[in-house]
Amino acid sequence: MLGADVPGLRPRFEVEEGALVAEGQVLFRDRKHTEIAFAAPMSGRVSKLAYGPRKTLSVCCIAGDQNAPTAESDAVSSQPDPENPRAALLERGFWPAFRTRPFGCIPAPDAVPAAIFIKAVRVGLDVPDPSVVLTEKEEEFHLGIKVLTRLTDGEVFVCQSPGAPLARDDARVTCVSFGGTQAAGLPGTHIDRVFPATQQNAVWSIGYQDTAAIGHLFRGGRYCASRVVAIGGPASAQPRLVRTSLGAGIAGLSGVEQGRAMSGDALVGREALYLGRYHEQVTLLNHSVPDPRRPWMDWFRPAGHALIPTRALDQALAVDIPTVPLLRALSVGDVEAAERLGCLALIEEDVAALSRHCTSGADYARLLRQVLDDLMEGAP
Amino acid sequence: MRSVWLPRPRSVAGVSVAQCAALVLPFMFVAASDASRYAVLLVAALIAALAFEGAFAFLRGHGPSLDGVTTALVAAIVVPPEIALWQVITVVSLGAVLGELVFGGRGFGFVSPATVALALLVISFPELELSQPTRELALAVLPGGISLLALGLISGRVLLAVGLSAWACMYLSGQGTEPGQIAAALAFGLVFLIADPTSAASTNAGRWIYGALAGGLVALFSSQGVITSEAVIFAALMAAIFAPLIDHLVVLAHVWCRGRRSYV
Repeated sequence: MLGADVPGLRPRFEVEEGALVAEGQVLFRDRKHTEIAFAAPMSGRVSKLAYGPRKTLSVCCIAGDQNAPTAESDAVSSQPDPENPRAALLERGFWPAFRTRPFGCIPAPDAVPAAIFIKAVRVGLDVPDPSVVLTEKEEEFHLGIKVLTRLTDGEVFVCQSPGAPLARDDARVTCVSFGGTQAAGLPGTHIDRVFPATQQNAVWSIGYQDTAAIGHLFRGGRYCASRVVAIGGPASAQPRLVRTSLGAGIAGLSGVEQGRAMSGDALVGREALYLGRYHEQVTLLNHSVPDPRRPWMDWFRPAGHALIPTRALDQALAVDIPTVPLLRALSVGDVEAAERLGCLALIEEDVAALSRHCTSGADYARLLRQVLDDLMEGAP
Repeated sequence: MRSVWLPRPRSVAGVSVAQCAALVLPFMFVAASDASRYAVLLVAALIAALAFEGAFAFLRGHGPSLDGVTTALVAAIVVPPEIALWQVITVVSLGAVLGELVFGGRGFGFVSPATVALALLVISFPELELSQPTRELALAVLPGGISLLALGLISGRVLLAVGLSAWACMYLSGQGTEPGQIAAALAFGLVFLIADPTSAASTNAGRWIYGALAGGLVALFSSQGVITSEAVIFAALMAAIFAPLIDHLVVLAHVWCRGRRSYV
């Protein structure tokens, strides 16, 4: 488990360094909402617990150990009631699978979303195909969707690529197809097109593999951390799918020592040793950091670039927001203007492509997070 | 239209390089009539623009940049060959300083420095007759214009709106309305002054309004159905001054529509 996935989370550890844990055992809880539990993705020995600045979570590592219990004790692994799933999801470590819109954080334990979006869109060839991954987990996926409908008064939207519907439509479940550019894979785009979120009507998003894992929990009573992850990128010898667990070590998955391993895609991903909580893809890159032996290159990168409006910027944001005014508001930190323009519909991953296309070279993901943090403090 | 074979510029310098590349052919066409004189004019304009850019970079502690090359090229194409060198140096320096350098460099200002330089030239030296746009110059502009459009550095919305609006206004006011003539007369100023990304509106609806305004102004400033360089220059200047206001109104309208949508 990495602190980078849950920025600002202050943990209260329930295990000690060196303890043996089983898959699904509670490792730590959110200090602010003690109902929200974080479960161990594999059995083993807790090898490292570390705090970051301000007592936030830095890292919590588990190393495989033969002596560790392989499964939860029967007392814990009882089958929860699908009609009233909230307590079970909180206690069994599934709450962090949800992310809210606006703000993109883990929802409060008692919050009720206006709708839930399941992300099952496949964009590009570098991510697992949901329809293939779900063939053997179809029943669990349907049960997971049913459980999700108990959490909201509104609808559950299954966002998928064009093709056969992944879920049966009924009064509470709707399948929506998205196709096209990179932005079609982002929950921000789906939510903005189908059900715009506001501060009063928050919307949650969740991945399709997490939904299937919830179904697994409610069918057999067991925690399931197994996920299908794609390994690809320019430096990978052969792109492939592997079945592994949440937060697995990337070196163990890819077996590549050289090059840069990114958790997530090349655009929004981060260079990491472990797989991120919300990532289903490992990208292996071979570019290196800028060459320090050529300092004269810096002459051609004068400080303080301007933003020149180009068509690439307009195309990079699929959400219905005027791009250039939004970027100007973000780059000067104008919280009010950014909110007026609709930045609450966005989180970091939605604007990552803009930083790449913009002539100013500003890191809009970081700027947006600052604006969202300001807005979150002022929110009721 | 997506550019497949050309990498899209991702820095301000890259944008300037693309614009310079697009300007080379029009300059070579104009300079063909009197190569040595135009070479001297270009060198004078380059020295003026780059000297001030270097001075500002030094004073502000920035790295050097060469964005002034586009200003110098545009100025050298439009000024008449008989102009005195001190006049070129004066207007290009003033244009570069007032148009962009006082704001912090390329992209920080709201008008294009070339437009400012040429407008100052027309105001300060009314006895000079600018080079008027010709069909041949329009043909020389075409390849560069198409590549800038493919790179996304000028907006097709602006181009279309200016052309349609100029034609419609001239038609309504009973002036000459041959579309080919209008397009040929507009081409250079449209691609390098009016549609310049740093001065044009930056929202999609704003681009249509901005283009319509610029086209209307071109028709208003030209007399007897002849579109002159002066008309295009002043239309570009006036429209650029209104572009931030247009964008602001478009954003207000967008916010209003978005607010209505979320309460449905």
